[in-house]
Amino acid sequence: MSSTTDEQQAAGASFGGVQARSDAPINTVSRISVRNLDFFYGTSKALKAINLEVPDRQVTGMIGPSGCGKSTLLRVLNRMYSLYSGQRAEGEVLMDGRNMIGPDVDLNELRAKIGMVFQKPTPFPMTIHENIAFGVRLHERLSKSQMDERVEWALSRAAIWGEVKDRLHTSALGLSGGQQQRLCIARTIAVRPEVILFDEPTSALDPISTLKIEELIDELKRDFTICIVTHNMQQAARCADQVAFFYLGELVEVAPAAQMFTAPREKRTQEYITGRFG
Amino acid sequence: MPMEQPDHIVRSYDEQLRRLRDMVARMGGLAERQVHDSTQALVRRDAALAAEVVARDAALDQMEREIEAFSVRLLALRQPMASDLRFIVAAMKVSHDLERIGDYARNGAKRGVVLAQQPPLGSLNGVQRMSLMVQENLKLAIDALVNDDAEAASRVWAADEPIDTVYNGIFREMVTHMMEDPRNITAAIHMMFIAKNLERIGDHATNIAETVHYAVRGDSLPDERPKADVSAYAVVRPPEQA
Repeated sequence: MSSTTDEQQAAGASFGGVQARSDAPINTVSRISVRNLDFFYGTSKALKAINLEVPDRQVTGMIGPSGCGKSTLLRVLNRMYSLYSGQRAEGEVLMDGRNMIGPDVDLNELRAKIGMVFQKPTPFPMTIHENIAFGVRLHERLSKSQMDERVEWALSRAAIWGEVKDRLHTSALGLSGGQQQRLCIARTIAVRPEVILFDEPTSALDPISTLKIEELIDELKRDFTICIVTHNMQQAARCADQVAFFYLGELVEVAPAAQMFTAPREKRTQEYITGRFG
Repeated sequence: MPMEQPDHIVRSYDEQLRRLRDMVARMGGLAERQVHDSTQALVRRDAALAAEVVARDAALDQMEREIEAFSVRLLALRQPMASDLRFIVAAMKVSHDLERIGDYARNGAKRGVVLAQQPPLGSLNGVQRMSLMVQENLKLAIDALVNDDAEAASRVWAADEPIDTVYNGIFREMVTHMMEDPRNITAAIHMMFIAKNLERIGDHATNIAETVHYAVRGDSLPDERPKADVSAYAVVRPPEQA
């Protein structure tokens, strides 16, 4: 054992594997490929020629000042913008070889594949059990026992099962903010998506609930590809494998998190993350 | 070329970083002075000055502790990123190098006291020259840190070789003195340690230069630095050439 380690070190592998984490190339298998994406709110261009590879089963953090386009990109990824007239996207968002912003995509199917968790917990005014079952029923026909199984699975994956298992049939509105947010995550994963988008998922939560969500994200990335928009740089540093910095609708820099926060290449990134902007 | 950066949005953060920079600069200045005075004490056979150098070392130790405490505080309270993070980490590392430089200077001063009681052993030109070169490198390395100047740091890093060359000369000279007359051994051994101390100080100056380069650029200088210290093989030939 030890001789192997010594040999690895002699060969330039790092002590303690620290180097490996910071400099490891991001998983090269891409789950979503954004190609030359432009986005318009009416006549104003909110995203300019974005090219981004979202690696499979890793966490991509998106940072940048308000109005930089990071939330807009999330809205494009699950076609939220299609709900509004006057908003349009040009370019490609490729997933399994299909352009997800093309006209022939079934939005319900798309949103089952790409789930979204919002800034404020948005439980439905229903029981905890119904909050999970409601979305599942839109996509699948399950027997009662299958549904109960699915509800337990989703709540367990969202690390809230233990806290709610004895009150599944009480209102979800009685849960704390952090619990409500984990319930929303459970609701999202209940339909078994491939990608989960988080739009500032902890900005309304206290620090302990925030850490629980971050721990959960770390856990979920084993099975899901995750994109998280956050204003909290430390959160991006803690959660993300790859970080993308947006400014004025442009993607300025994409890098592994450790590189991004210790030695970013671009001057604008450097100034933003050290708090020298504006 | 020094790197210019705009100010932080939070002004007190800039002030704290400036204060840290200032603390390191002052500690660097004191370390330089210790090296200078330590050599002066030796050359002038000045036991009083040597005693001052020994006493002043406590101030350097105190500065190191203050820089470390202030850096830890900034890390905890500001959660610095990128160039700020690198600078704070660099300040801590540089303060350790400077503390160690102070130890070598103090050790040289102590040996100077002993040497003052021995008959003079040839010329002190070599040691004086070495001390000047080391002080110059140390000064340039600290200036590079204060000015965020990676190029200046690279120059210091590459300028250690001539110091090693002078050191090799002193080493051979002392070996000669000892072989000539065993009564020289005490003085020659002390001289050798003094020269070795200066050589180590030079190495710490290059460490500082490496740290500054990382702080400014975010990448490291190559592993191998130009070196000319061959004293390890001065008496015995290296095995591969035997």
